[in-house]
Amino acid sequence: MAVYEREWRRYEGPITPIRMRFLVVTRFALGEVFSSRLFTAFYVLSLLPSLLALFLIYLRHNVSLLEQMGLTQEFMGALTMTFFQLLFSWQAVPAFFIALIVSPSLIAADLSNSALPLYLARPIDRRDYVIGKMAVLFLLLSPVTWIAGLLIFALQSYLEGGGWWLENYRIALAYLVGHLSWIVVISLLSLAVSAWVRYKPVARGALFGVLFILSGFSEAVNGITGSSVGDLMNLSKAMVSVVQHLFGGFSPSRLPVTANWATLIGTSIISIWLLNRKLRAHEEVR
Amino acid sequence: MNSVGRTPEPVIELEGLSVRLGGRPVLHDLNASLGGRAIGLLGPNGAGKTTLLRTLLEFYQPSAGVARILGQSLDNGGKLVRGDIGYMPESEAHIANLTAIRFVRLMGELSGLPPDTALERSHEALFYVGLGEARYRKLGTFSTGMKQMAKLAQAIVHGPRLLMLDEPTNGLDPPGRKRMLDLITDIRDRGETTMLISSHLLADVESVCDEVIILKNGRIVARCDLEAERRANRAFVELELQHPSEEFSLAVQELASEVAIVSELRMKIVLPDAVTVRDLYAAAERHGASIRRLDCKRDSLQDIFLRAMEADNGGV
Repeated sequence: MAVYEREWRRYEGPITPIRMRFLVVTRFALGEVFSSRLFTAFYVLSLLPSLLALFLIYLRHNVSLLEQMGLTQEFMGALTMTFFQLLFSWQAVPAFFIALIVSPSLIAADLSNSALPLYLARPIDRRDYVIGKMAVLFLLLSPVTWIAGLLIFALQSYLEGGGWWLENYRIALAYLVGHLSWIVVISLLSLAVSAWVRYKPVARGALFGVLFILSGFSEAVNGITGSSVGDLMNLSKAMVSVVQHLFGGFSPSRLPVTANWATLIGTSIISIWLLNRKLRAHEEVR
Repeated sequence: MNSVGRTPEPVIELEGLSVRLGGRPVLHDLNASLGGRAIGLLGPNGAGKTTLLRTLLEFYQPSAGVARILGQSLDNGGKLVRGDIGYMPESEAHIANLTAIRFVRLMGELSGLPPDTALERSHEALFYVGLGEARYRKLGTFSTGMKQMAKLAQAIVHGPRLLMLDEPTNGLDPPGRKRMLDLITDIRDRGETTMLISSHLLADVESVCDEVIILKNGRIVARCDLEAERRANRAFVELELQHPSEEFSLAVQELASEVAIVSELRMKIVLPDAVTVRDLYAAAERHGASIRRLDCKRDSLQDIFLRAMEADNGGV
């Protein structure tokens, strides 16, 4: 870029709306995320399950193409709820890995070099900062999960016709509510871990541990107490149970679905509390 | 109560401002109205300089009192007014994996600059602070001096009305320090922004500030208008003769508005505006006196600072 002025001067021109200022945080963070070719390749790969599902649904309704391939419409059985449940989990797993890869660098990079005072000395506050960072994960995870899911549902409804969408509206609801809940919980949790554990590999390990080691611990609690009370701290099981409930399927947890929701909401509240504790321009020394 | 009053359009107003951190009082009942071009915030370590800056940026909440910046109370307009503030923190603060240009642009956009303008002004700001050739390098690869300059660039990129600099010469070598002070002086002389400079280096403050607030134990213990001090002390002279000369002493008493005879050989003189040092030499020649030493001395900031430090907790 050609630089004409090399002097300092006051700025008197227009400024951007203060309410949308958090999007600056999002835009710059997204730019950093996609500066890695490896991540970009992984992100494209994570869209494959949804693209494959779109192709299968298209294929199933294209009789001439099926005949050319020597197949019939029965080749993949009926498009039951199980197909969509399976697809949901095939979307949720790469989404988790995207969060695992991206989130540790979102806040830790700012905290490790004390950049937070520079953000907060400007017309944004801590809430804007967190929303801006969360929006990065929301924008990354949405196309892979609920947007892709609703597109697949729309294509199937269109090709099947005859009020199929009305009979199976739960699928769309499950995709929307299930994935959005997962995005909110995993985003808050991963940002909280990123804020407290600044070393990226350790932060990733900690996030992995919260989900899977805690699952093992909760099963041990169930075994010792002979009850299902351990499920209250099993985040992955709570999420699966909520999604199964949304699909109208069998829940792996013996706890009522409200208890599973409580686990998700509780995790989110704890994550917000942890973020509130850590994200300060300067810590008070007591 | 500590009180400092000044200009008709104050940039910073403090009314009984107190801050407690961790249950411990850090700032006590500060009252001031500051409106100079460059205001120095002096004090020993732990006096509360940085706490005051951070409170003005709403990093800390006051336990009592009110602070107003650019006429806006922090209670209801703090977020908005921060768009008109540039802040250069004392400690290292950057985003290591960003290039300098991207970093400064991010900070400009956060302050409200549209993206294209932010990019343009980031280039200009980096050239202005002397990092033009290094602007595409990642900040993590910068030396301490370069990081300090990058911090200044991010503080000025959006053309703030108030610039808060916390120990701006920290960690700089002599050429870097001179460069930083030259830049601060240049910004001051443009007269478009007010600067609040916190430092414990008297020479730095003295060279760039025209008004100084001295803090001690969280209280304002002195306020000094350096411009007025410079004017008032311009004609203060200490003189020492080779040999005693009664005639010369009498001649000096006729010339000067005030003369203090310290001894037969030494005297302190305050010269009126119409009399110069050249006139003293001329008088010495007329009366056959030899001047051994002549110092144009003024009350330095160091003297003012030391007096303030010696004073117990009290007013100015």
